[in-house]
Order: sequence, then structure tokens, then C-alpha cells
Amino acid sequence: MKDLKTNSDRPLHSSVKDLVEQVRSGAIDRRSFLRASAWLGVSVASASVFAGMKGEAFAQTETPVDGGTLRFACQIQELTDPMLSSWIEASNLYRNSLEFLTYVDADNITHPYLAKSWTPSEDLKVWDFELDERAKWSNGDAFTPEDVIFNIERWIAPDSQSSNKTAFSAVEKVEKTGDHSVRITLSRGVSSLPEQLYSYTCPMVHRNFVKDGANWPANPIGTGPFKLESFEVGRQAVFTKRADYWGTPAHLDEIHYIDMGTDVTTHLAALASGQIDVIYRASIAEYDLMKSLPNIQVLKANPAHTLVMRMQVDAKPFDDVRVRKAIQLAADNKQMLDVAYRGEGVIGANVHVSPTQPDYFPLEPVTRDVERAKALLAEAGYKDGLDIELTLGNTQGKWEQDTAQVLQQNLAEAGIRLKLNVLPASQYWPVWDKVPFGLTYWAHRPLGSMTLDLAYRSGGAWNESHFASKEFDAALDKAMAVVDPAKRSEAMREVEQILQDNAVMVQAYWPSRFCATSMKVRNYKLHPADYFRMDGIWLAQA
Amino acid sequence: MTLILFIVRKLGGAAAAMLTVSFLVYMALEVNVEDVAVKVLGQFSTDAQRAAWLTANGYDDPFLIRYGRWLWSFVSGNWGESTYYRAPVIDLVPDRLAASGLLAGGALLVMVPVGLFAGLLAGMRPGSLIDRAVSLLSIVTTSIPDFASAVFLSAVFVFWLNWLPGASTMLSGFSFSEMVLPVLVLAFYSTGYLARVTRASMVEVMGTHYVRTARLKGASPARIVWRHALRNALITPVTVIMLQLPWLLSGVIVVEVFYAYKGFGTLLYDAALNSDIRLVEACAMVSVLVVVATQILSDIAYGWLNPRVSLLEAAMGSK
Amino acid sequence: MRKFFLPYLSSPITVVGGLLSLGWLLIALLAPVLAPYDPIKTLMPLAKPGALNPAGGTFWLGTDMLGRDILSRLIYGARTVVVFATLATLTAYLVGVVLGLIAGYRGGRLDAVLSYFANVVLSFPVLVLYIVIIVVIGSSPFNIILAVTFGSAPAIFRIVRGITIDVASRDYVAAAITQGESAWRIMLFDILPNASGPLAVDFCLRLGYTAITIGTLGFLGLGLPPPTPDWGTMVNEGRGMAIAFPHLVIFPCLAISSLMLGLSLLADGLREVSDAQGRRA
Repeated sequence: MKDLKTNSDRPLHSSVKDLVEQVRSGAIDRRSFLRASAWLGVSVASASVFAGMKGEAFAQTETPVDGGTLRFACQIQELTDPMLSSWIEASNLYRNSLEFLTYVDADNITHPYLAKSWTPSEDLKVWDFELDERAKWSNGDAFTPEDVIFNIERWIAPDSQSSNKTAFSAVEKVEKTGDHSVRITLSRGVSSLPEQLYSYTCPMVHRNFVKDGANWPANPIGTGPFKLESFEVGRQAVFTKRADYWGTPAHLDEIHYIDMGTDVTTHLAALASGQIDVIYRASIAEYDLMKSLPNIQVLKANPAHTLVMRMQVDAKPFDDVRVRKAIQLAADNKQMLDVAYRGEGVIGANVHVSPTQPDYFPLEPVTRDVERAKALLAEAGYKDGLDIELTLGNTQGKWEQDTAQVLQQNLAEAGIRLKLNVLPASQYWPVWDKVPFGLTYWAHRPLGSMTLDLAYRSGGAWNESHFASKEFDAALDKAMAVVDPAKRSEAMREVEQILQDNAVMVQAYWPSRFCATSMKVRNYKLHPADYFRMDGIWLAQA
Repeated sequence: MTLILFIVRKLGGAAAAMLTVSFLVYMALEVNVEDVAVKVLGQFSTDAQRAAWLTANGYDDPFLIRYGRWLWSFVSGNWGESTYYRAPVIDLVPDRLAASGLLAGGALLVMVPVGLFAGLLAGMRPGSLIDRAVSLLSIVTTSIPDFASAVFLSAVFVFWLNWLPGASTMLSGFSFSEMVLPVLVLAFYSTGYLARVTRASMVEVMGTHYVRTARLKGASPARIVWRHALRNALITPVTVIMLQLPWLLSGVIVVEVFYAYKGFGTLLYDAALNSDIRLVEACAMVSVLVVVATQILSDIAYGWLNPRVSLLEAAMGSK
Repeated sequence: MRKFFLPYLSSPITVVGGLLSLGWLLIALLAPVLAPYDPIKTLMPLAKPGALNPAGGTFWLGTDMLGRDILSRLIYGARTVVVFATLATLTAYLVGVVLGLIAGYRGGRLDAVLSYFANVVLSFPVLVLYIVIIVVIGSSPFNIILAVTFGSAPAIFRIVRGITIDVASRDYVAAAITQGESAWRIMLFDILPNASGPLAVDFCLRLGYTAITIGTLGFLGLGLPPPTPDWGTMVNEGRGMAIAFPHLVIFPCLAISSLMLGLSLLADGLREVSDAQGRRA
């Protein structure tokens, strides 16, 4: 216990003791311990020494080389106000120049970033953040509590269109408590606040952002290690290393993000012929091709990202829970995983919480029962079958459509005639939260409760299913206040159960994620949320 | 003088055609205004914001007034703002068009010599082995769609042999190796077509009485072809080459999308997929302009090669 | 009858082209009989060509990513192509021929207006026109037919109009007019047959182009909604896996190329024969 230190040198939070007991008894694993103690402000270095994980976490065999240009293939989309972005690709661009209060690494562990420490109150309602006094904007201004207050207040303003408004709905007050300190006061205890502050919509923009036109590429002030050199939608974005960066300087001299269209086969062709160094994403369709290419390294991870085929609970015929249940019962989640994603992933339980998320509670999955599905449909008045339409946009690739086609066959067995309305990806996003039955890709969130908070809380900005339940909201509030990983997952049981009972969605499986880099790229880790920080990456000399 | 009259008349016709096209395009894309505001303001905008934007941008006016205003600003060089690229449309189009022109130029550079030579060779001796080989080859290549040849050429030269780059973004400047595959795919189809047309034209010319007369007079075959047949045999192929330009504009879409080439084809494709209305309008207008321009050029070339047709006659459209 | 077919049969090009085209037509018509499996049913993912189906039978051309039999999808895909391409081409012909006859026969202002519009539509590059139409009205079988009709009818209109103007000035038409035959009768029975040769050639080629266009739209992701078996879409879907599983792409490419080849050969043959007949006459 004595080895454990907080980043702020203040006393440990009382819950740390419980965590220590649990990791000693084996009730939680060491990674969960690191993660939960980091939320409470415990220094990761001290916690890993304590848990005996040093070697594992900090192994490094090669000495990084500075210099070089990394070429990264990804779509270059419109980018104006970071808090409004709904594309992670866009966030990977500004992540080079804009920084966050905290940093969540590829292992889901929260580290200090612009905030060098944080201390929660006993009830987890009052959080004191200590900002790094070295942090400086690229225009020479110091990074101050005013910047933090400006950002958070803008997220939660009454007319805010940002998804942060839902995610930070518990925030009551943000105030300056010193030259470099900020206090965030919440209406209810939230244990994972530091982790949430690394969501892709939460970068810190300069306090004059709105005054300067609220258009980041036009006025790219940032605190980060790189500077935006040029930006053209649909073509490319170039970042160069900043000599006057306040923190540890980056290795790369330049990063070129190149738009090669949406076709991953073309990206792989470019990678194979040495035109680029990293491809942002590849799907199962390209897996064999990737493995067959001799000069690339394939990365694979199991993040908590998934396809959600959600039904709007207030739209006909999905307003009848029997119809929604029938669809869940007729769906064959295992077949969708095996056929559409060739078994590369984990089966889902229609509740949008992944077994890889620490707060997951293993609910009894819905077992397929076509006869019962038929009976339920007959009961709901659809004796002669039901005609429905699923809208999708293949936003992540053709496997979305493949999954839907398997579902189509599954449902046909129960007399449900499913029509697929396949839109071009860019036409799906404008309607994603409007269609009665839609297939939406949800990106990884470190905790299941974070996703559920965004997607299923009554009246939430991203609540595409229009699901509204007071019990659900209350159960979710309860779960989000718990620090103890074991207790937290127990608290999630009720949350997941309500969601499953209401049959809001078919969420068939958790697909593995793939990407590929050229052989010379070093230290590129597949971050589960696709939040790539490029300052640690370097290129080996050929 | 005739040439000037001819060009004036042709330009008049082209202007009228462009006017009609502009009306059709504008009607198709902007009769329904509801989507326009959503596209411009994004998915997170509120109904009130959209209504305000529509009013501020004159979308409450009757259709014909809006059309007139749009046409005027289009003619005066204000093509509106692209909702996808967030840039003035007029800044986007010329570069992309030039890039596609480069691609089409490359395709022509392959297609014209190869197609003409193969066609002439085959047409000189109909029924010979060369003729049969050329005919068969050209009919096979014209039967393979662009996308199929793109898939095969990529599979062989990029993934299997590893000789050529697989994407042609050209973002770090012109690269010859990146041009090879897109040009080959474009030329693959057109070359066969040109060879077929040239062959047919050559066969016909070789059968005309003056060539037969020349042959009876004992002129050498080379002389016959060079002095008598060639010029006449080229009339149709040259027209075909000119008319291939609009076809290349179509072919360019598939090829550019496939190779991520940043040309006019991908511009139109992205604009269409993103319902970037102003950009689609501009692309449609520009592509029609290109077609109309090549038609005028091909008429001039036709008249130049075939002195029997007077340009004036062609200009008056007597037939 | 024999006299009619004989010249065609003596040309090997026509025979090969005819057989290929007829073959695909038969395959399309007999699809339910010929296809060994349900084309949209998942059976066994990514079987190589010739693999045995554990439930009996053989996947002669393998299966696709979703485990659907490729041979069955090609056979049913022929149906998609034959039905939609033919329907689209026929509609275009109906519009083009009727308007062409009227414009050529009547002449005057009507002709001027129709010709003008035909020229305007023809000044769009084909694929540009289709993409704009599909984007405005969305992608559905009906809309694809509509787009093809709109794009092709002007070219047919031009051919028919030209021939009509040429034929209408001949003596026997004048004779028919003096005999008081109705204008429609003259157009359909005296004028149109003269256009049958060039139109037959054009029809074959146009059918092929339409098939390729539908394929290209599918390839660009603007085609018919899944799970409709469609050759262009099959190529598009299999492309990412073509290195490991070339059968996903090769067979649909061969199918569309062979259909186009058949139709072009047939068109060539028809042209040769009608030229030869023309010379004899």
C-alpha cells in the first residue's frame, strides 16, 4: 500500500484500499486494478510496480530513431469544430495538434496529459484537476484553467449540439481554483470521469476558439506536438513536428494523411507497393489479402466496437415489444459472426456491452427460437408475416451488408420479410438516427456504461432507438458511480437486463479489428478506440 | 471566312444546348429544397436553423427566379460552395479536370498509334492471318468491361508481380509509374474499338475503284496505301477518336475510383455520393461542355480530312 | 425460313455470337431448373471451385464469402442482366422508335424540337448521366430502367429518324400515301422494316452496353439492392478477396465478358450479312 502514490501527492482515495484487497485476493485482475486506480488519481508507474507489472508495461527493445515522414491512408473529411465531429478519422487528424486533459492508452489505462493529476472527493462528485504548468499553445499563450472552463462549458451549454452534452450531463460547475487548477463538480458520482475526458470529441481548443470563427483548420492553434501544415478535404492533410512543443518531442518530422477513397483494397495495394506506411482500417474481407502480402505487418485487436441493428421503439411496427422480441429470437447471432465475419470475433448478447469491457456482466444470451418468434408475431397481429426494411450504409465496409444479409435469411425463417435499403456511406450518416430500423456502427468506448449512457439514456443526443426508461436511467446512474470493478459489473446486470427485456436491438457480435502497416513502422499500437497518438511512433531506417 | 461562320454557328448551338442542360440539371437537383439545407448545415442542425438558412439563401423564391439567379451566378463564374469539400466549386474543378485530361491524354497516346496501326495493318489485307488476329483481339478487348480489366491488371502487376504501385493519388507530384495502370485500363477498351473502326474503314477504301485502278496500274502496295488509301481511311477513325473523348470521360470514373486518382471522375463520384448539389451541377455542366467542344473539333477535323464536305454545308446542318 | 437463316449460318462469327447470346438467354430463362442451389442461401462460406457440399452436391465454381453458390448466383445473375438490360433496352427502343418515326415522318417543328432534345441528352457522357439520375432518384430496378431509357432512347431516335427521312421520300411511300393509308400504317409497315437491319445490329450492341452499364453501376456501389445476384456487384464484393480467392471475381468477369462478346459477334455477323444483302440488292 505504501508504494502507491497519487500524481498529486495527496492522500489515496479510500476506494483504493478495496481495490488493493481485491487484486491481492484475485477477485480482479491486475489490469483492472491499474485502470480503476488510475481513475482515482493513482500514478500508473507506482501502481504497476505495486502490481508487479513493470516489465510487461514498459518493455522496449529498440532505440527510437528521429525523423522521417509517415504516410497514413485515411479519409480526409470535413473538420470544423472538434466537439461536433462524428468521425473518428477526423479526430485522428486533430489529435496531432490538440491535446486532452487525460490520455487513455491502448490498454485502457488513464494517464496524465494536459492535466498532470486529479483527485476525486470521497463521493466522487468533486474532482480537482491540476494542469501541467509547462503546457503552451502554439500561439505562445499559456494553457490555463480558463481554457478548460471554456471547453467544458461549451460542451454542456443549453444549445450545444455536441455528444459531450449527454456524456457530461452530470457536470454542474467548472471553476478555477488556482493558477493551474480546476475543479469540476458533478451532480452524481462518476468514477470514470478522467477516462471520459479522452473521448474523441473532448480535445482542448483555445479559449478564443469561438471568437476566432470556430473553424479549427482555418486557425489551427493547438498545444500538441505537431502543427497542421495543410488540409484539403478529400485529398490530404499534412502535419509537421513543432520545435517548440512543451512536452516530449515527437519522433516523426512529418505526417501525411492521404485520402485514397473508401476502398480498402486500393489502400492495401498502395501499402503493398510502398506508397503508404499505415492503413487506418481493414475489414474481414481484406484479411486474406493482408496475410498474403509479404512486406507488411498485420495488427489485430478486439475492441468493443460493434454493429447495432436497433429498432426505434416509437415507430411502427417496432413500437410493439413482441415484434422486437420476435426479431431478436429469429436472429442467429452466431451465424452472423461465423458467416459475415468468418468467426473473427466474439458473440454478442443484444445488450451492447462487450466481454472485453471491465464492467460487463455476463447475461444469459437470447437463444434462437424461431417457433416462439412466429408465435409472438401472430400474437402481435402479424400472422401472415411481417414486411420490414433495414437501412444501412456500409460505413465500415461490406461486412455490414453481409451481416444484414445473414439476418435477412434468419428472419425469413420466421416469416419476416426483411428488405435491405443499402445507402452510400455518406448518405447513411444524415439519417442514422432517423430511420425506424437501422444498422449503425458504434465505435469502442472503454466502458460499457459509457456507450449505454450515450445511446440509450432517455432523450440523449445519440439515442437513435428513442428508447426511454426511467428505471434504465436510474440503474445506469447507479452503475456509473461505482469504482470497484467487481461491484460495477454487478451493478451493470440490472442495466443490461432492462435493455435485453426491452429487445431494443440485434447486436450480434463483436468483430475483431484489423489494420496493417509497412515493416518499418515502429511502436504503432492498435488503440481499441482508434485514437492514435502519433508522437511515440517512429520509422526504422531501412 | 467559312471557318469563322462555321464556328460561330456551332458555338451558338452549343450555347443553346448548354442552356437546356443547365435547366434540366438545375430542375433535377434543386426542385426539392428540403434536402439542401440538411446537406449544407449538417445532421445536427435544427429545423429552425434550416428554415432560416433557406430563407437567407433565397430558397423561398419561386423556382424560375432561383434558376435565373443560379444561371447568372454560374455564367459569371460563381459556382457556389461545395458542401463536401468546403471550398468554392470553381476552385476545385479546373485542377481535377486537368488531372483527368492527363489520364485521357495518356490513354489517347497509347490508343491512337496502336489502334490505328493495328487497324490499318488488318484492313490492308482482309482475311489474312494478321487481320484475323487483330479482329479477334479487338473484339475480345472491347468485350471486357473497365472494372474487370482493372481488377485483373491490378492482381497481376500490383499484388502478384509487385511491379507497379496500386494507387494513383499523385499527391506527391506527378509519377509516371502511377499513371501506367489507369492509362492501360482506359486504353485497353478503346484501342480495340479504334482498331475495329480503322480496319473497317480501310477495307472499304481498299475496295474503292481508284485504289483498284492504282493497283492495276502496277503501283507498289506501300505507295497505294500511303498515297491513296490512308487519307480516306482515316476520316472515320479520326472522328471516332474525337468521339472517344466523352467516352473516356465516362471510363475515367471507374478507373479513377478504382485507383484513387484525384481527377474529375472521382470529383463527380464523391459529389454524387455526398449529394453535393452545387458540385454535381458544375460537373454535369463541365462534362457537357467538354462533349460539345469535342464535337465541334471533330467536325473541323472531318472537314479538314475530307475536302469534299464544305464546312459551310456542315454548319448550316443541311443534313 | 431456310433461305432466311442460311446466310447467317454460313458466317462462323454469327453462329458463335448467336450461340453465346442464345446460351445466356436460355440460362436466364431456365435459371430455376439449371441452378443447383438457392442463389441467396448461405451454404458453406468460401468453398473453392469443385469443393463438395457436405449436404450433397458440388460447388462447381465455389461459393462466395457469404457461402452462396457462385454458379447459382451467376445463373440467376444472368436473369438479372437479361431481364433488366433487355427490359431497359426495349423500353428505350419503344421510346426511340416511336419518336424517331414521328419526327422523321412529320418533320417540321416537332422534329426540330425532338432532335434538339435528343442532341442535348446525347451530349452527356453516358455514365455521368446515369450517376446523376441514380443519385437524384435513388437506385432501384425501376430507376435503373428509367435511367437507361433516358440515356439510350435519343441514340435510337437518331437512327430511326435518319432512316425514316430517307425512306419517306421513296416512291412506294408516296404511293401508299395516295392510296390513303394511315400514317401509322405507313410508318410501321412501310418504313420501319427498312430500318430493321441497322436496328438489329444496334440492339445487340446496346444490350451489351446496357449489361455492362448495370454491371458498372453495381461495381461503383450504385447497383441493385442486395441480395439480388448481379454480376457487377459480385465483382465488386469479391474484389478485396480476389488474391486469396480468385474464383470470386474471375467467373462473374467471364460471364459479363462472354455475354458482351456474344452480342458483339452477333452484331458483327448481322452487319456483314445485311451489308452483303444490301450489295446484292
